[in-house]
Parts: sequence; C-alpha cells; structure tokens
Amino acid sequence: MSRIGLLVPSSNTTVEPEFYRALPRGVTLHTARLYLTRIAPESILKMVEDMETQAKLLASADVDVIVLGATAPSFLNGLGYDQELIRKIESATGKKATTTSTALVQAIGHLGAKRVVLGSAYDERVNGIAKAFLEASGVEVVGVKGLALVDNLVVGRLSADTAYDLAVEVDHPGAEAIVLSCTNWQTMDAIERIERDTKKPVISTTQASIWAALRAIGHTAPVAGYGRLLQELGT
Amino acid sequence: MYGWRGRIGLLVPSINTTMETEFWQIAPEGVSVHTARIAGGRHGTPEELRSMENASKKAAEDVAMVEPDVVVYGCTSGSFFEGPEWNRKICEQLSAITKAPTVTTAGGMAACLMTSGHKRVDVVTPYVELTNERLKQFLKAHGIDVVKLGTFDMLDMFDHAKIEPEEIYRKVKEITTPEAEAVFVACTQLRALEVLDMLERDLGKPVYSAVQASAWQAYEAMGVDPGITHCGSLLRRLSEPGAIKPPQARRTA
Repeated sequence: MSRIGLLVPSSNTTVEPEFYRALPRGVTLHTARLYLTRIAPESILKMVEDMETQAKLLASADVDVIVLGATAPSFLNGLGYDQELIRKIESATGKKATTTSTALVQAIGHLGAKRVVLGSAYDERVNGIAKAFLEASGVEVVGVKGLALVDNLVVGRLSADTAYDLAVEVDHPGAEAIVLSCTNWQTMDAIERIERDTKKPVISTTQASIWAALRAIGHTAPVAGYGRLLQELGT
Repeated sequence: MYGWRGRIGLLVPSINTTMETEFWQIAPEGVSVHTARIAGGRHGTPEELRSMENASKKAAEDVAMVEPDVVVYGCTSGSFFEGPEWNRKICEQLSAITKAPTVTTAGGMAACLMTSGHKRVDVVTPYVELTNERLKQFLKAHGIDVVKLGTFDMLDMFDHAKIEPEEIYRKVKEITTPEAEAVFVACTQLRALEVLDMLERDLGKPVYSAVQASAWQAYEAMGVDPGITHCGSLLRRLSEPGAIKPPQARRTA
C-alpha cells in the first residue's frame, strides 16, 4: 500500500477524479485544499501561504509523497520557483514532494521532446508565464493557444472534447509533443485520441503529475488508457 | 465535468486515510468526491475531538469552492462527543458556510439505527473508555441502548486504519449478543465497509459502519441512487422504490 498526498486548489473539481481513475490498486489518494478562486497571480501567491499548513495535514496521514497538483501556482515565479515550493513542503513535512510544473518538465524530457506546442485553459497573461517557464527549462514552445479562462470553476465544467479540439488546433509541424496545461481542465480522456490523430505524444499536467507521483513511490507497472507517458511508466 | 450527477464535499480528520478511499470505491458514474482536511492531532483526546468543531470551518470554506451538493463531516467521535446539540451545531455551521446540506457521521449513525427501528444494538469501536461512554450517551439520547460494546481500545486515530477488515469482522462476530437487533461499527478510519455484507450474511442481522452510514445520508441528501449492492443492506435500501425523494421534497440546507 502506498499513499499519495495531493494539494489541490480549493476550486479544482477535476484533478481528484482524474487521479483516482488512473491510480493502480494499492495506491490511495489523500487530498488537502488550498484556497483559490481565480487563476491570477495575486490569488495564487495568497494560496501558497496556505501550502505549508495543508502539507502538514497530509503528512499527518503519513503519505509517501506530496504533490502540489496545481500548474500555474508552481510556475508562476519562473524557473526555480517550483523547486523552492518543493523545498518548502519537504522541510515543513519531512516528506518527498513534487509539483505539477516540475513533473511537466521532467515528463517532456523523459519523452525526449525539445519543441512543443502548448494548449491551456489560461488567458494570454498566464500563457506567457507558462511559455517563459518552459523555455527557461530548455523546452522550445513553437505554438501557444489558451481558452482564456480565469474562473477556475468554469474550467472545471469543460469536457475533455475541448482539450482534444484545442490540441488539434494548436498542433504545429515543428512540434514533437503536445502539452496540455491546467489540472482543473479535463484532459485524461482526450490524450489517447489526440496521440492517435496527431501521431505525437501528449503530456497533460494531470497525467504528468500522476506519472511523477507514481515514480516517486516506486510504482513501475504501466498504466493503460492515458497515453504514452503512463503506458511507459518504469522505462 | 466531473460530479455532474452529484458532488460530495468530504471533510475528514487530517490523519484519516480510510474514508476518502471508501467513498471513492463506492462512487458511481457521475459522482465525484472532493476532500478537505480538518486540522487536529493524532490522538482522540477530548481536547482534540472538541477542537475539530472549530477546525472544520476552515475545511468547509475550502470545500465550498467546488459547489458541493452535500457536505459530509466524516468523523464519528468528532460529531457525537459533546452530544446531539453539538452535532446539530456542527451541521448548521457547515451548511451556512458551504450553502449545501451537511450530514455528519454521528448523525448518520443515529438516523440509520432509528429509521430501522432498532432500540438495542451492539457497537464496535476503536475508542478508549471515555469516548465509548460518550457514544453510549449519544445513542441513549436517541432512544437506543447499547447492549454490548467491543473496542480495539486505541487512542492513536491514525493507527485505527491499521486494523484489518478481517479483524473487524472477527471482533463484531465475537462480541455481538442475541439481544442486539443490529451492530454498528463506529469510526470512519476503520476499514469496515468491505466486510459488512459478509457480517450481515453470517450473523443474520443488519451491520452498519460509520463510512457506510455517512454515505447513505449523503446519497439520500443528493437524491442519487448509487446502486451499491455489495456494501451492506443500508446502502441497498437507496435502490428501493421511493427511497430517493424528488428534489423538491428534499431538504435544501
């Protein structure tokens, strides 16, 4: 038995169901919430203040790893900010930690992609920050398109078809992989369809978070149904 | 979107590792579970149990953001410890914060025993003596007598999840008396859900658990028949004709 601890923005309605469905038998999920209503820098910085307290609550359930399952909050202050958040969580709890942004960059590297396109739920401002974060991490972003949403609850109401449509639209001949960003956006059900139709690997922020969490607890058996990344877990 | 049929806002003591897992195990298509943690210590001391009432408000504020259809305060001792009025106060506070109907585990326990017409029951708990006494008083206030109480007698609430389902099965079977009309297994950290069906078959009487009674009330409040056939008679009752009331007949907060 292993336990994954997940920190989610309070208004996120998607990441818990998507984690639960993908987790293999014997791995359980335990959630704590961080207050967040709008995907905007001011709200996000406030959320981080709550992070150590909530991480400690997860640690009290003796989880094996803590994942900050929020994308924008973990790349907001540019390169290295995710590592700073990891250090904060780890020193507050004594548990291993990772963030969605950290997982995203690792997953892109793992698939060997150097140039990607980015589809997101974000507006232009947050997309700009996302692009800068990826490029500072050594990944060239050759195309960006967002749904321009800032109300997190609205993002949670979108279907996975919106992820499929945006991915196909933003895809570019120069891209080696497609990145879908925002853990409150339903992407998991669209990944295999996009991979089949574009012939490119898809990395979604939720899928990458699950991948990183399973790696952190030493789970190496493939997880089927959610794209190459999880199918190749353990390689 | 997830939770299109019903969204459960689940508040659990921070150390609890069982309730989220069991709630997800039984969640049918279209129902989602969103958890927030109630700050508190590992030990079920009177101070800790009392402090959860206040700490649950912060967790409720966080879970309110998902616009839940029902909120579950998922701790038995944390809702019965100071009596029925205290339990009612917790419900009212959390409903006011979340704008959703709120159920508590102690409320679910009393409701499932009362609506089943039980007057004399056996109880299995992981609690220490003082907490067990408070549980008996709570049931007494609802007109229910505890014939026999069996306990694992552990103060450390995190460790309650280490008790294996088979140990719960054996404990229930060992302590139950012919006079008791039913058995209730208290504590949302006890992994009782998977042995309830077996116990009911082998004992020939209803056996309920804390997580099960909480889920039963939550689904009733949401107006959703989850179609759960393998977790005891209580949850199967939700599939009986007339069990799920139309929305206008349900309480709204």
